[in-house]
Formats: sequence, C-alpha cells, structure tokens
Amino acid sequence: MNPDAFGLESALVSRARTGDEEALEAVFHAYRTQVYNLGRRICGNEEDAEDVLQDTFLEVCRSINRFRGDGSLWGWVRRVAASKAFMLLRRERIRSGRTVSGDGLSPDAFGVAPREPTGPIDLEAALSRLSPVTRAVLWLHDVEGYTHEEIGELMEKTASFSKSQLSRAHRRLREWLG
Amino acid sequence: MVSMRHLEMHELLGLRDGEETARGRAHLEYCESCRRELERLYRMQAELRALPAFTPPRDLWPRIAELEARRRRRRRWWAVGSAGLAAAALAGFLVLGGDAAREADEGGVDGWVAEATSQDLGPFIERSRELETLLRTYTPQYQVYDAPTALAVSALEDRIWVLDRMLSEGRQTGAERVVLRQLWDERVATLETLVGIQLGETRPVSGPQAVWR
Repeated sequence: MNPDAFGLESALVSRARTGDEEALEAVFHAYRTQVYNLGRRICGNEEDAEDVLQDTFLEVCRSINRFRGDGSLWGWVRRVAASKAFMLLRRERIRSGRTVSGDGLSPDAFGVAPREPTGPIDLEAALSRLSPVTRAVLWLHDVEGYTHEEIGELMEKTASFSKSQLSRAHRRLREWLG
Repeated sequence: MVSMRHLEMHELLGLRDGEETARGRAHLEYCESCRRELERLYRMQAELRALPAFTPPRDLWPRIAELEARRRRRRRWWAVGSAGLAAAALAGFLVLGGDAAREADEGGVDGWVAEATSQDLGPFIERSRELETLLRTYTPQYQVYDAPTALAVSALEDRIWVLDRMLSEGRQTGAERVVLRQLWDERVATLETLVGIQLGETRPVSGPQAVWR
C-alpha cells in the first residue's frame, strides 16, 4: 500500500499520532521495503539494513506526533531512515577504530582501499566496492534525489563534501564499469 | 576562446544536474568525448534507479510492536512511580516506583517506615532511592536507543517492575526477611546496571538481544 497514492496519508498519520497500532503497522508496511532498501544501500549488508529498518520504525512510533505534516510522510520517514543509517555507520566505524577524524564518516578512514576488480563486474558489484560513505552519497543524490546541501546536513558535513564524494563515486564506477 | 581542456567529473555532474556553467556548455558544443561522458552519466543514473529493490527477509513488525509496547509500559511505569514519588516525598521517607510506591500511597506507610529504617533492608532501600533519583535526573524524556540498548533497557525495567511486584507480595504475605533482602539486593543491582546504561558507562553486550537475533 502506498498511502500517498491513495490520499490516505493524513488520516493514517492522525491515527498513528494517537498511538493506534494498526495505523503504525500500516505505515510500517507501506514503507518497510523502501527503508530496508535505503539501509541496505547505505550500510551495504543485510544485518545492518534490518537494524536500520527496526531503529527507523521505533523512532517513527515514538516521534510521529512530532511529524508536522508539511512534507510527505515518506520524506519524513526516509530522513529518519537515512539518519539512522549514518548513525549506524558512525558507530560501527568508531567502534572498529577505522576512523581517523573521530566522526566516523571520513571516506579515507575505512581501512584498505577498495580492491581492484580482476575482471568485468556489474553495477551491483561495483556499488559494493565503493566505501560506505561514497556509496551513500551516490545513492542519496542520484537515486533518492537528495541535494548536496541535504546530504551535507545529514552527514554533518558540507555540501562540497557531498559533491566531492559524488565525483569520486562516478570516477570509480567509470573506472570499473567502463 | 573556448577551453580545450576536457571537463572534470564534477563539471559533468554539474551539467547533468542542471548546474550549468558557460564554459561547460560551450565545451560540449564541440567536444564529442565530453558529450559521450555526459550521456554515460545520465545512463548510469537511470541504471542506478532501475536496480531491483532489496526486500526485507522477514517481517520485523512483531518485534518493533513488542519493543514499542515495552516502551509505553515503561512510560506508564515511570509515570506511576513519579506519582508515588511525590506522595512518598511528602511522607518524608521513601522514593520508590511502581507497585511499591502505590502500596505506600494506599496506607502501607508503617510497614515501609519499618523497612526503610531497618538495619538489614534500610541500606538497600536508601541505595534504591539514590539510584532512582539519578535515573530521573539523567534519563532524557525523548531518548531514542539503538535496538540492542532499547532491548537491554526494556529488560532491566521489566525486571524492576517484576521485583516490585514480588516485594509487594512478599510484604503482604509476610515473606522471610532474607527473601526480601535478596529481592532488594537484586533491585539495587538492576538499577545500577540501568543507571550505567543511561549514563553511557555500560554497553549491553549480550542477553536480551539474543532473544531476537
């Protein structure tokens, strides 16, 4: 179900704000695939994507009464999801000590450089070889339609950082995919 | 004069995304190579958008609903505890939550005073009071935990709720002091762990999340 498409969003949000479990479940089922997909694209693995999905909807349940309704529900849920994904990335990187800047989101702080492919690879394989930060910027900008300013804000970086990561991503893809 | 230098990736991306520059547009007019590169970037974006979506391997809603239900139960528990806290503070002796505080409100005052001032239980009760005060001071109202921490906090708060019920029943049924002492001991230990998590000193490493994984 896509509540946006059927004009049910405001009614759903009104019910969800009161803590109506059926409404919250409907919101979950409406967006779970998109949220999971976003988590998977940013974090790069199934387990972290499940954590993003869970943390996102725990936050949605808890904070939906703070959703002002001045944008789409999906826009709000997606922002929560992206924020949770970056939080997870930061925590993992800081915990594993693979950061030099301390913020956990430095693209050069992810240990070894991506392995150079030995033969032809497809787009999925190329994406998986990008560093999480570079891949996240590519996905948020080119697929989800975020602006560089929005990405910079999400990552607590600048718009210029986002632009340079996008260029880096495309140079890599060009190199690997031709 | 038009520059012969090929466009850099950031310039091509700018053109693709509508951030045109005069130099970039002019360069494209005569540079076949950069035009092909720009077309490749358009195709790449289309290919990225056409990638099949990953779908969640299982339905996580039951787990999320359970966690949310626990959170709401905790909020009710704390709300009741706070009410009991106010009454108990007025009575001038104890700070307790849940059933214990309710019982104090309902007239079990003499029993509470006796326990709170006793040599065997008094120190545990005093320590509980200190820890609950710490929790109320340091727990942000809108704290959002990651899943393992949320589970650990839920499990600890649920355990305290159970211990309060056991203490309440033990008192009503005249349980042996040694049993009450053990319950208070566990209550203090559980509160200490909870305070440790809230203050960031303790990280849940095992236990509750294993139930879910």
